[in-house]
Amino acid sequence: MDEDVLTTLKLLIIGESGVGKSSLLLRFTDDTFDPEQSATIGVDFKVKTLAIEGNKAKLAIWDTAGQERFRTLTPSYYRGAQGVILVYDVTRRDSFTKLENWLNELETYTTRNDIVKMLVGNKIDKDDREVDRNEGLKFARKHSMLFIEASAKTKDGVQCAFEELVEKILQTPGLWESDNQGQKVQLGHQEQGRGRACGGYCSIP
Amino acid sequence: MAADNDPESEVFEITDFTTASEWERFVSRVEELLNEWKLTENYVEELSPEKGAYISGSWGEQSQDVHFADFKFYITHHFLKEECKKNGKGEEDTLPLAMQDLLCMHNDFPPRAHCLVRWYGLREFVVISPGANCEAIISESKCNLLLSSISMSLANSGCQVPIFVQIQQKWRRIYAGECQGPGVRTDFEIVHLRKVPSQYNHLSGLLDIFRSKIGCNMLPLPPVDITIRYTYILQDWQQSSWPQQPPDFDTLLGGEVGGVEFGSLPFGACEEPISELHLATTWPHLTEGIIIDNDVYSDLDPLQAPHWSVRVRTADNLQCLLGDFITEFFKLCCRKESAEEILGRGHAQEEGQENSDISSALSKLTEPAAPVPLSKLSVSSMVHSARKHIRRRRHIDESPLNVDVLNSILLYLFPDAAVEKSSGKEKITQSHFFRTSEQEKSSDNNLFLQLKSAPSDSLTYRLTLCLCMVNYSYGGLPAVTHLWQEFVLELRYRWENNYLIYGLTTGSPDLRCCLLHQKFQMLNCCIERKRGRDEARKAQERNGDGEHKASGGKASGTTTTKEPSQGKSWDSRSDSEEEFFECPSDQGEMETFQTEGEKDSSRFKAEGRLHPYNNMTLLNSTEPLYVPVTQEPAPMTEDQLEEQSEVLAKLGTSAKGTHLRAQMQSACLLSDMESFKAANPGCVLEDFVRWYSPRDYVEEEVFNEKGRTVLKGELSARMKIPGNTWVETWETARVTPARRQKRLFDDTKEAEKVLHYLVMLKPGDLACHLLPCLLHAAIVKLKHEESTENIPSVGKNIQQATSQANKLLHSVNYDYKRLEDFINQLVTMERVITEARSLKAKFAVDEEENNGETALELQKVVTSLLEEPEVVVIGAGQARIGRIIHRLFINAQRAALLSPMDEDLEPAAESRKIPDFPPPAGREILLRTCVPRPAPYSKALPQRLFCVLMKDEFRLAGAFSSDTSFF
Repeated sequence: MDEDVLTTLKLLIIGESGVGKSSLLLRFTDDTFDPEQSATIGVDFKVKTLAIEGNKAKLAIWDTAGQERFRTLTPSYYRGAQGVILVYDVTRRDSFTKLENWLNELETYTTRNDIVKMLVGNKIDKDDREVDRNEGLKFARKHSMLFIEASAKTKDGVQCAFEELVEKILQTPGLWESDNQGQKVQLGHQEQGRGRACGGYCSIP
Repeated sequence: MAADNDPESEVFEITDFTTASEWERFVSRVEELLNEWKLTENYVEELSPEKGAYISGSWGEQSQDVHFADFKFYITHHFLKEECKKNGKGEEDTLPLAMQDLLCMHNDFPPRAHCLVRWYGLREFVVISPGANCEAIISESKCNLLLSSISMSLANSGCQVPIFVQIQQKWRRIYAGECQGPGVRTDFEIVHLRKVPSQYNHLSGLLDIFRSKIGCNMLPLPPVDITIRYTYILQDWQQSSWPQQPPDFDTLLGGEVGGVEFGSLPFGACEEPISELHLATTWPHLTEGIIIDNDVYSDLDPLQAPHWSVRVRTADNLQCLLGDFITEFFKLCCRKESAEEILGRGHAQEEGQENSDISSALSKLTEPAAPVPLSKLSVSSMVHSARKHIRRRRHIDESPLNVDVLNSILLYLFPDAAVEKSSGKEKITQSHFFRTSEQEKSSDNNLFLQLKSAPSDSLTYRLTLCLCMVNYSYGGLPAVTHLWQEFVLELRYRWENNYLIYGLTTGSPDLRCCLLHQKFQMLNCCIERKRGRDEARKAQERNGDGEHKASGGKASGTTTTKEPSQGKSWDSRSDSEEEFFECPSDQGEMETFQTEGEKDSSRFKAEGRLHPYNNMTLLNSTEPLYVPVTQEPAPMTEDQLEEQSEVLAKLGTSAKGTHLRAQMQSACLLSDMESFKAANPGCVLEDFVRWYSPRDYVEEEVFNEKGRTVLKGELSARMKIPGNTWVETWETARVTPARRQKRLFDDTKEAEKVLHYLVMLKPGDLACHLLPCLLHAAIVKLKHEESTENIPSVGKNIQQATSQANKLLHSVNYDYKRLEDFINQLVTMERVITEARSLKAKFAVDEEENNGETALELQKVVTSLLEEPEVVVIGAGQARIGRIIHRLFINAQRAALLSPMDEDLEPAAESRKIPDFPPPAGREILLRTCVPRPAPYSKALPQRLFCVLMKDEFRLAGAFSSDTSFF
């Protein structure tokens, strides 16, 4: 099965503690929801193969702990990620206002600057919403991210979020190919005076 | 063709090719190719290509092998790529294009084209030449055979593109060819001699040949169009010599500044990059009467020529310093030998034999002749170096790297070693050592991230430059290996003696830098931790003496700054006052105290408090909640991180795997919990969660029995799951302050790991690791040099090169082929810059007498000389640039023809006798006319003769057309 996999992508899930990062991941990978999902310690890891337009991509998804104290530990795992899902809880404004910090963290620790970012507002099944959809949209636009609202509990938007992200990564040239065909720099001067043509004063060898 | 099909023949007639001779096969193969290349479709075009089309347009070619028996030929179709080809059958009597081109005046002397283009003005032709490893066509009969073959092919296919056969030795460039059109044909012939026959050494002689050749017996003679081009070569640049002196490597060490030169890459060519300047003076469209050029007199004065153009020839295989440095270093990357193989066993073994005759080493070091600036050295600080070098001193002859050089380099790499102990506060100013300009620095900030190298003043970066220089000028691979060993020894010395490594940003390894840089930073982390620990222990010992033992948390307040540590003399950062990580074993007394404490929490004394947390109090008491002093998590380099990720990933995605992962990573959590317990006697998990993961403590307003609202809090649902890792860990956590816990980061082990890694590193791999730093330095250097020259093409290329390097250096495995290409690009850029410099000096671009406008004009000429094959001198010999070129020639002439003595004589009188220009290196004379051949009543057809007269070459390339209608 691994043979027809086009590429392996590394994805990250980050955000404040308790916004439902692990639940989103569990919904995506196992299609289940566990109300008693325990708090992640350090980083956790899941794999899923996803087919996008006939191309299979293997996703290695790193789920991180949101607690302040773990932030000295988790960013080391940001290296080499091609995509990141930034999660906030629509019922908790503070999880939204802290997003800037997370973006800074990403900026500092990711190794590539063309990483694809997706903002996910989670827990839309709850009634006590504090963050309006438009606010999320505005934030995402400001930071050139993908945006979707989702609920790990009701499945809404979860599959879609991951698919969109992967699709976007596959569309970004140079982000996922193992062999980047960098354009070759050519200095016009280099070719001069070589080759079959007689250069210069014709009869001078 | 062998089987000539009669159109009226019977259907059943057998066509027999079996008897076809080799010759017939060859002819038909050529025909096939002509058809394949669509050369048989003749099309009409505007009469002549646009002026300059041969210069601006690009030439294409396609080739194939053809065999004549077992003899291999290349058949190549050359053509000018044109925008659009107008198809359509030409009128019956239109001349073939090639014949029209013979007379075309717009594209004489194309600067870059096949020689046949220059000689015959053709825009499209086919050449058949002997294949590689095949002997030349020398015999006349073979030659005729080939010519008849092409004649057959042309006639059979109706192709109007001329075909040439290369005969005689390749270097002689002799071609015979033919072009056929309806009722017309042109023969192309070449005469090639070693010497110019004296009767043809001038225009009038050549005109005689031309006339006799076309056999024109008409009176009056048809006018012959004459175009003449003389080329003068300037090779002697003595009078305007190239400004750059190659660096003197020998003086590098003797200078006052010690190793400063180690910090920069060299730049520039070692020799004159411009080997020749060619001046072509052209007289277009002359007629016979206008000028006279015979054996006694010539009108052709180059200064009066209406058209001037210049080109430069750059030196082949120009040796450029920067390029050489990089290329040589890059070669190291492919070496596979280990250090031992390079230096031999003996060298490695002797490392072990310690014989510390320090005094003799010192006396050697302090000899007056020592190249190290002694004023900056102190005896004491040199001792440790001396102790190591002493071993090598005993077999100086064998050591690959000269000891003096080695000392200077080490001093450059570790400038802190030179600071005198007595005046400990005196620091060597950074600026003295790393004189990068502000401008460079700002652009550089980003560059090291892009290239994954290291900051430009870091130890890693400087080490790279030193290794590169050592490799290039002080002994190649063995010297590099030697320096590396010394370098690692120095690092070990620093580790063992608690000296921080100079020139690295503190903190955990920067994963954006190259791995080696991370390793150095890691070692520094270890040294820092170890130092902190040692100092804390010393402080505690002192405390222990003064006060009662086991005074507990009080000790944390004591600072250790008063400690006369050697390292302090230069270290500005001393943030390691906290007492940390004492081994539990020598704290027996504390242990018992602690167990007592656990029995009765009220009596338990708090330890390792950092500060109170948000005015909170413990849930079960009125004590404030304290944030504990915690252990820092272990720093990691990228390879360790990779390893760790792999281990974590390998645990799989099952629930069990997740649980295991959580447990593996709970060491940090456990440590924090233990510290928390120690800092907050009597605390519960809820207290810990309130600090550590506040959102997992849910508070609700409830009414108590008195009707007042109070906050009631509890753990979140997920924290209450029985047996979850948090609860489990809390239960196993003991009450231990951070300083008595098992170290999360075993600095001793990590440091040894790093040092082992460094020792085992093969020199080749070392070079690979440092390559990004070198390319980084090279790009910075190029940028800097370019900025003073302002060559747009190079500037643009540097930009592109940087982004390309970004991709090349970030991939996990280097692509050596592409890296090599990349390095070659850097080399080319360096060459272009040096060429520009040389030209600027020659054309005196920067001279003060030139006002802004002329300077700009000159600058433009220099730029086009570098980018274009030939540059037209506007205004020819009369304009400013023309006068400069003229002066260059005069100077060279005088230098060549006057002995130095004569120069003292009156120069004005003297110079009159010397011609301004040397004799032309080449004379090209192009004669064209249109006359009827072979009979006076034939059609008037283009005739052309191109003559080349040089010192040791005489060539006549003639194209003579004749009307075949009645012959």
